[in-house]
Amino acid sequence: MKAIRVERTGDPEVMQLVDLPVPQPKANEAVVKVAAAGVNSIDAHFRDGSYKMPLPFVPGQEGAGVIIAIGAGVKSVKVGDRVAWSGTLGSYSEYVAGSAESLVPVPAAVSDQDAAASMLQGMTAHYLCHDAYKLKPGDTALVHAAAGGVGLLLVQMARNLGARVIGTVSSEEKARFAREAGADEVIVFTKTDFESETKRLTDGKGVDVVYDGVGKVTFAKGLNVLRLRGMLVLFGASSGPVPPVDPATLSEKGSLYMARTTLAHFTATRDELVARSGEVFAMIATGNLKPKIAKAYSLAEAQQAHRDLEARKMTGKLILIP
Amino acid sequence: MKAIQVKQPGGSEAMELAELPIPQPKANEAVVKLAAAGVNFIDVYFREGRYKAPLPLVLGQEGAGEVTAVGAEVSDVKIGDRVAWCGLLGSYAEYAAVAASRLVPIPEGVTDEQAASAMLQGMTAHYLSHDTFPLKRGDTALVHAAAGGVGLLLTQMAHDIGARVIATVSTEEKAKLARAAGADEIILYTQSDFEAETKRLTGNKGVDVVYDSVGKTTFEKGLNVLRPRGMMVLFGGSSGAVPPFDLIMLSQKGSLYVTRPTLVNYIASREELVVRSAAVFGMITSGKLKLRIEYTYPLAEAQRAHRDLEGRKTTGKLLLIP
Repeated sequence: MKAIRVERTGDPEVMQLVDLPVPQPKANEAVVKVAAAGVNSIDAHFRDGSYKMPLPFVPGQEGAGVIIAIGAGVKSVKVGDRVAWSGTLGSYSEYVAGSAESLVPVPAAVSDQDAAASMLQGMTAHYLCHDAYKLKPGDTALVHAAAGGVGLLLVQMARNLGARVIGTVSSEEKARFAREAGADEVIVFTKTDFESETKRLTDGKGVDVVYDGVGKVTFAKGLNVLRLRGMLVLFGASSGPVPPVDPATLSEKGSLYMARTTLAHFTATRDELVARSGEVFAMIATGNLKPKIAKAYSLAEAQQAHRDLEARKMTGKLILIP
Repeated sequence: MKAIQVKQPGGSEAMELAELPIPQPKANEAVVKLAAAGVNFIDVYFREGRYKAPLPLVLGQEGAGEVTAVGAEVSDVKIGDRVAWCGLLGSYAEYAAVAASRLVPIPEGVTDEQAASAMLQGMTAHYLSHDTFPLKRGDTALVHAAAGGVGLLLTQMAHDIGARVIATVSTEEKAKLARAAGADEIILYTQSDFEAETKRLTGNKGVDVVYDSVGKTTFEKGLNVLRPRGMMVLFGGSSGAVPPFDLIMLSQKGSLYVTRPTLVNYIASREELVVRSAAVFGMITSGKLKLRIEYTYPLAEAQRAHRDLEGRKTTGKLLLIP
């Protein structure tokens, strides 16, 4: 089978198309024929060595496809099932073996590309607005990077929950995408200070919650735009890590809450994983959530996919089609 | 009238019994004849000059008594009303002029001494258990300094809600008090490590919430005993201030929440102040909340009251009776 392999870490060129044997399932594993694999920033972190991984390895943490073989002891899925996953390494490949417990069923109304596109970012958006800070109708949320992968999905879900969404974006073109996703207000932060603009848009009251995947450049100002007892949910740090925080800052700015979350803690049990992915897929099936696929690449074009991802020019999800 | 005045910040001897004119109410103020004034650590901080106020100042932030005069624009209270307040200076005196919007009615069945005891610590325990992290039946809470002023009230309220309370205390005598307040488990942190003990008591699952007024010596270990997505409520720093910390700790330890609340943000509107104080008074009249008034002192013995408080030998509320 064809697969992308990294033998040493570095630039996109270290990803080579190779021939490997089709994997055999161990006990409790299933082998999936990959129909679509999601391309994520975390793949680039593993590729360039900023996250550690024994070499060589096949990149890719997210995908969708059909089960062709199962190992001993597997009960949760069977051969022929359409499934999707995240957090299993090796998706940049025609076939991948993974823990059967990590595979979730994909309903017929959801395409392989949409399923592969929404496991990491869709479930992230879902836990942010349904669990980390549960939005209610009438809440106001500030969503940073609202035209980003998680942002576009989070804006749609927040809007569906009846919240008012203020989105920050870097360009007029991204502003258009954020507005299409349902943002009520869009701040182009390269032109307008998001702190003063958010205060203006909320009549000085501040927002109920800030969803921040940007980190270093947005965190401190984000605390300034929260209402009394509001919450900042930091779920990523695309601009770099946030410096250490003095907890006294939280009381001085109004008895604020903060959380630093990761998806793994919101899909910790099989029940929660299946329920959360099921809800995301149901939103897609009913048309309430529209994943935006920016571009689909062949497996051989993986290097180009990473170059496009790292150039940050694309709006929407990048997909590999093995 | 007699009042305790500080002309120069310093030790307990900086407090002098002075003869001052009875204050006249400004347009939005009422004058209250004090029946009891609460003694709190914040009074020590103002006496020492650690917290700033224009000198000379009359100490005291908590009191109860009867309205004897009202300003022209006052509609919230009238002459003859029994009222209580907190958060405004001047209660170590026979009379105090107070913003009428910060005075709350004392119901029948609650004495002036009880009211003066319950405003700061009672409302603090109330917002912690009902709003900051609203406890539900079956939750498990770790309460540090459970035999302290807030601790004893918080333990009673948490127990009443149906939460399991794990309490940390420093001595056997305080353990008895915490147990009588309804603590399910007691950890003598001077004898056993509260981190290991809390993990053992929860079958390694961790607690839903940590209520921490101790700060420096307890904060980081407290994060280690939280369940995934649990909440650290830091509401004081009796052992010193918690240093700035890296938010990545919160994701590594399980997508945790941290908040640093203060009472003023939980009684920000008059409506919330009245509702919260009434809820606390209601618990007193129904017998659900037992206050522990340990010593009362005449106004002239304010110095002794402060020495007793700072000696940390007391385990209940201290009151001045003007």
